[in-house]
Amino acid sequence: MKKSKLLMMALVLTMVFVLAACGKSSNNEASSSPSASAPATESTAPSESAEDEEVVPEAGAKLVVWYSASERALVDAAIAEFKGKYGIDVEYQDVGPDKSIEKMITDGPAGVGADVFLAVHDRLGSAVQAGVVLPNDLHEDVSKANNSAKSVDAFTIDGVLYGYPMSVETTAVFYNKDLVPNGEAPKTWDEVISFAKDFNNEKDSKYAYMWEAGNGYWSWGFFGGYGAYVFGDNGANASDIGLNNAGAVEAAKFFQSLKGQVLNINSGDIKGDIKTSLFTSGKLAMNVSGPWQTQEFKDGVANLGLMEFPTLPNGKAMMPFSGVKGFLVNANTQYPIAAKLFAELVSSEKYQVENFKDFGSLPSNTVVAESAEVSNDAFASVFLKQFDNSTPMPKISEMNAYWSTQEAALASLWNDNSDAQKTMDDWATKVKDAIASSQ
Amino acid sequence: MKPNATVAGWLSVLCAGLGQWYNRQYAKAVMFLIIHVAGIYLALGPLLPQLKGLVTLGVKGQHFEKVGKINKLVPGDHSVFMMIYGVLAALVVVLFVLSYILNIRDAVVVGRRLEQGRYRDAASSSAFPWLLLAIPFLGVLFFTIMPIVFTSLIAFTNYASPNHIPPKNLVDWVGFATFDKLFNMNVWSSTFTGVLTWTIIWAILATVTCYFGGILVALLINQKGIKFKGFWRMLFIIPYAIPQFVSLLIMRNILNDKFGPLNSYFRAFGLNGLPWLNDPFWAKVSVIVVNMWIGIPVTMVLVMGILTTIPNDLYEAADVDGASPWMKFRNITMPYVLFATAPILITQFVGNINNFNVIYLLTGGAPATMKYNNAGETDLLVTWLYKLTLDFNQYNIAAAVAILIFLFIATFAIILFRRTRSFKEEDMIQ
Repeated sequence: MKKSKLLMMALVLTMVFVLAACGKSSNNEASSSPSASAPATESTAPSESAEDEEVVPEAGAKLVVWYSASERALVDAAIAEFKGKYGIDVEYQDVGPDKSIEKMITDGPAGVGADVFLAVHDRLGSAVQAGVVLPNDLHEDVSKANNSAKSVDAFTIDGVLYGYPMSVETTAVFYNKDLVPNGEAPKTWDEVISFAKDFNNEKDSKYAYMWEAGNGYWSWGFFGGYGAYVFGDNGANASDIGLNNAGAVEAAKFFQSLKGQVLNINSGDIKGDIKTSLFTSGKLAMNVSGPWQTQEFKDGVANLGLMEFPTLPNGKAMMPFSGVKGFLVNANTQYPIAAKLFAELVSSEKYQVENFKDFGSLPSNTVVAESAEVSNDAFASVFLKQFDNSTPMPKISEMNAYWSTQEAALASLWNDNSDAQKTMDDWATKVKDAIASSQ
Repeated sequence: MKPNATVAGWLSVLCAGLGQWYNRQYAKAVMFLIIHVAGIYLALGPLLPQLKGLVTLGVKGQHFEKVGKINKLVPGDHSVFMMIYGVLAALVVVLFVLSYILNIRDAVVVGRRLEQGRYRDAASSSAFPWLLLAIPFLGVLFFTIMPIVFTSLIAFTNYASPNHIPPKNLVDWVGFATFDKLFNMNVWSSTFTGVLTWTIIWAILATVTCYFGGILVALLINQKGIKFKGFWRMLFIIPYAIPQFVSLLIMRNILNDKFGPLNSYFRAFGLNGLPWLNDPFWAKVSVIVVNMWIGIPVTMVLVMGILTTIPNDLYEAADVDGASPWMKFRNITMPYVLFATAPILITQFVGNINNFNVIYLLTGGAPATMKYNNAGETDLLVTWLYKLTLDFNQYNIAAAVAILIFLFIATFAIILFRRTRSFKEEDMIQ
């Protein structure tokens, strides 16, 4: 066997690289924590002394904001105003509110998350549990005073307000005035059923009333209306599951009965795009959807109407899920003050008005909601009324267990006509198991 | 002083480089000494906290402290980053241990050579490859080995939503508890066995149908009487050329019970149509059939290539002997095709076990079922794994499933590959 200098050189080269590699990794470790905490300490000092005076953003701050691309114009306007006011640049990135919290949980601690982002309140529990969002402390009073109690509540966990409420959303029934009898949509389920008997025609694929039956968001209205609840104490108590109480079973029976009477389609085949195309081509009379589709339907249906959900056979109103969108601030942001200022600015009255005008989003700000423009709007006023008659989606992190089980439970009720009591019992057990299995 | 390999070896054990110094290879001795000192310094200095972090995975979580009106973030330990840095540090330590062993071996080998009175350092070209390999070796170590080690380690922690997501909450080592959960906790084990069974059935059916379907199509097109061969070839390759992201989503609409064109045709002929994607059984049939549509072209093209390599005189000889078409196929065509494609058959099988696209885009795992936890009737292990990580943040269970998939595929592929004739008789093609 021969030895050589070359072998040694190879070894030394290896070691040099190793030294470089680990030197770098330990540097990262050392430098990342102070850089994350240093601005925070810096920033607390001035604001502490200046209690109620104007808050000053960190010098040299640069922000990143996540928002959905289709409604980017709104945030662009806020960015321009913010730049003019504080001279701080804000970079826009396309991350929608439906997945922003998921992304923040992984990206935030890694230091690559946005400073400010829009989110729907139902995932707030997970975000707080993971510690990735800052409480709304600077503007707590303003946010509470300006926005509706329900929307503030949606962003509050354990008495701490986290979000800057922006808009509220719930579902209601769009209808085509040309297709419903006398241009008046049926107001109760009994009327819907008798209307469906005349109107439904499978051969021409004409349907009276359609919603995504196999989806726990769209079908919740029935269960909520009969007094079922996912978690007790207004969605805060995960050990109290109300999916198999007497009301829930009754709701399940009624829900099942609709398959034969109103909508004879398997749950897997009812898709949003199919529903939309049937509705806009005049084959669907009543279509359950949310405010985000108002504009699309206005364009597609000549005589469009909107009503609250039909009354249930027990005389009660349906209670659909509702969501609140709001801005959140990344806990790991380097510029917390600037980020909070931007969140406050973009969720302020002015931009909620814009948001309503441009995209039909329902304002959470009470002044905007009560303004003539919104309350006279044929669609927004109905949605806001329905919002008052809705259950905010529970926001505790255990809600995941509901989302992961709802599709199977509803499909089994809807498609297989399974025994209502047994299915609802199974569903409650599944939710309990899912919570236990993720511990 | 008489050179002595044993003395050199022991000196190197005592301190790296000492043996080389004794062998009078001073430059080499200094190099080893530097590496040795640097190693000890690094391991006890900067690397020690990282290694400790790998053991503890953090002791305090991040939290807020209220200062006046403002909530101040008090940074804590981030278990997952600590794990990554810890694994990196451990790899560096392993490298130093290797260099230490190399140093002893070098001292002994050179010492022995000196004992025999040969030259001290015969520069050899055989060491040049070592130099070339040093950088790729590091690349592989830190970019291939490290992530695999890291992913596997996740399976031995409780890294899962909602209660163990850092930085607020720490992740802990739990040993084999995750695997215990997967095999023994009812909700997980029934899902795992159910999904695993379907994965295997799917992999076998998908591979067999595409393989023989492809051979059949290739043979048919290559028949003498067939006209417009180019047209047929093009027609069959098109499904493969369209991105699956487009074609599968369209398929999904075509297979819709009520509104899909397929069932409309059925209804036009007075038939009821089938619940393609709604019924567990028919959903499984649907994914296999759609997978044939995508997979057959691959085998077809492959087999067409192989068919051209079969010497024509074999068939002529068979004709002279009066063999029937079936006998020619059985005794000439099939052995040739099988020999050439057996390794590919295995990769297709393995690929089908992890066939994410077809399932995820066509059914998304649907129809949903009450039997499973976070999975539907047509979910494969890999799509279930996707849902577990991205939709439900159950990282530890997902990592455990990933390890099991890897073990299953690796053993299977090795055993099968070693049994193929292409492996045993690989000299036949040379």
